[in-house]
Amino acid sequence: MKKLLTLVLALMMVLCVAASAEGIIYIITPSTSNPFFKTEQDVGAPKAESLGYEVKCMSHDDDAAKQLEMFEAAINDKAVAIICDNAGADASIEAVRKASEAGIPTFLIDREINESGLAIAQIVADNAQGAAAIAEKWVEAMNYEGKYAELLGLESDTNCHVRSENYHAVIDQYDTLEMVSQQSANWDQTLAYEKTEAILQEHPEITGIICGNDTMACGATQACIDAGREDIKIIGLDGSDEAAAYIKDGKMVGTALQQIAAITELAIEQADAYIKDGTKPESEKQLVPCVAITAENVDKLSAFVYTGE
Amino acid sequence: MKKNNNQLLMTLLKGRTFIVLIILVIFFSFASSSFLQPSTLTMVAKHVALYGILALGMTFVIITGGIDLSVGSVVGLVGMLAGGLIQEGLTVGSKTIYFSVPAIIVLMLLVGCLIGLVNGLIVTKLNVAAFIATLGTMYVCRGLANLRSNGATFSKLGGFEGLGNMGLKALGTNWLGIPAGVYVFAVLAVLAAILLKRTSTGWHILAVGGNEKSARLSGIKADRVKILVYIISGFCAAWIGLINTAQLSAAHPASGDGWEMNAIAATVLGGTSMAGGSGTIVGTIVGAFVIGVINDGMTMCGVSEFWQKIIRGVVIILAVVIDQTQRNLQAKMALQARNEAK
Repeated sequence: MKKLLTLVLALMMVLCVAASAEGIIYIITPSTSNPFFKTEQDVGAPKAESLGYEVKCMSHDDDAAKQLEMFEAAINDKAVAIICDNAGADASIEAVRKASEAGIPTFLIDREINESGLAIAQIVADNAQGAAAIAEKWVEAMNYEGKYAELLGLESDTNCHVRSENYHAVIDQYDTLEMVSQQSANWDQTLAYEKTEAILQEHPEITGIICGNDTMACGATQACIDAGREDIKIIGLDGSDEAAAYIKDGKMVGTALQQIAAITELAIEQADAYIKDGTKPESEKQLVPCVAITAENVDKLSAFVYTGE
Repeated sequence: MKKNNNQLLMTLLKGRTFIVLIILVIFFSFASSSFLQPSTLTMVAKHVALYGILALGMTFVIITGGIDLSVGSVVGLVGMLAGGLIQEGLTVGSKTIYFSVPAIIVLMLLVGCLIGLVNGLIVTKLNVAAFIATLGTMYVCRGLANLRSNGATFSKLGGFEGLGNMGLKALGTNWLGIPAGVYVFAVLAVLAAILLKRTSTGWHILAVGGNEKSARLSGIKADRVKILVYIISGFCAAWIGLINTAQLSAAHPASGDGWEMNAIAATVLGGTSMAGGSGTIVGTIVGAFVIGVINDGMTMCGVSEFWQKIIRGVVIILAVVIDQTQRNLQAKMALQARNEAK
């Protein structure tokens, strides 16, 4: 027993020494079962490590209580910075405040919180611009007319509304485009597949489907393929590889890439600058534009990284 | 006269789920002009098959007085394992083996049975309450599903010609105009009904659920029976993992999240008592169709997802309330009959 204890203590000391000189950065994201959030960790960790930091990645699974525990762990761990894709605009304020009071800077990526002055930076993709950009492409593909359906995400999610509103800001300019069905598919692929089948039964006349994200767009696309309705024009938003594959095959019109890899790198760079000499970014809230992806430029997209221009 | 009334009420109560189903079909055929088309009905059957098959397994488990919360996660795990075998094969040492689709199907069904076996062993040999045991395996399986690809999706599961592993999509397409999943559902349902009502094993399952102690005393190996029902449930869940993956041509680690609730709802709607001891396969099938018709009917009528959830919840509670009424009435009638005999 004593031997074991000595061994454990020795191991712990080795680990402590091994901890990098620059300090620990926590990267806290939603569930990595979504490739989008997985990219945040996959891009963020090596970037921070290359700058000399130790990195701890974890997922809060969109549970604000769990997120708070992780922030507290980071505070106990004396982390030098927290990079976080948060679990809710209001529910996350408390966690960020705690970190700020403990003197740990938080850099929010992808999603904002409803309070400024707590985080050093809030870097998000311009969902509004992205939705509008891909909606323009879709309207063109529809030839400015026809009936269509919309699959919404989780209706309690801010992004769901921002995306839908900006799709409609573009599409509703045309009286010739008429929405005949609007359903929530909960960001879920199987649900999107089933809802699309049901909508096609009731409204076989539709020629387009607009989806709040790529996961649902992929479900809808597969349902249309299975129903022999490859004429239906489908768009999503995210820029996932799965959607890119459908776009390459001509089964989907397009998607808007949220440049999450670029956003994450930017957050790490700003964290590094802040840790080293206290430089804050010019403004807390920063918008990174989305890129509309269609058959023309889909080849430049891989793993949420766009290598064009 | 009162006795006749009671008997009429009794018949109505016994067929309640079926009556609800018919009312729903009539309602939606008025609400949506395309509801009664054959193509709509095959679509409903296709969607019903997904949680109907889960509900078949769940029926056996609930009859023994247990519950299986792990089925949704098993769906996700099996999908990921199947997707992984097609895309990446199985690497042992320096060799990578690619299995044919039938081999993958058999392997995945074995995985489902294995998880069921683990559930059964935890419940019987370690004496853990079914709710806790399967809650545990639910998390384990979901974690494993995510670990398999480190959270990524396996997409484009068409297989590769050179590797001879094409054809998984067959499980997600129509054969002679009817979705493959519906055939699987029909075959499994017939087998389940025969097992439950025509074999001694079926009687043992009912006996263990009704009164475990007296079942043991009359020589039934209760532990074996209980392990068997969890294996059946895992087997059914593995089928859904395969069918769902085939339909989407993609395996997503979050697939099947929360589906155990649909399966439990269908089972309870079908009249299986959560206390164990009674339940029928036909009831479960009708229950699954009630949920399916509500889901697809409301989607076709453009009812929002929020209302769909509320209505689903109210229907489930009503079903159980009626179930209680029936039991009370049954007891009352039995008492009445005894008094008259005196």
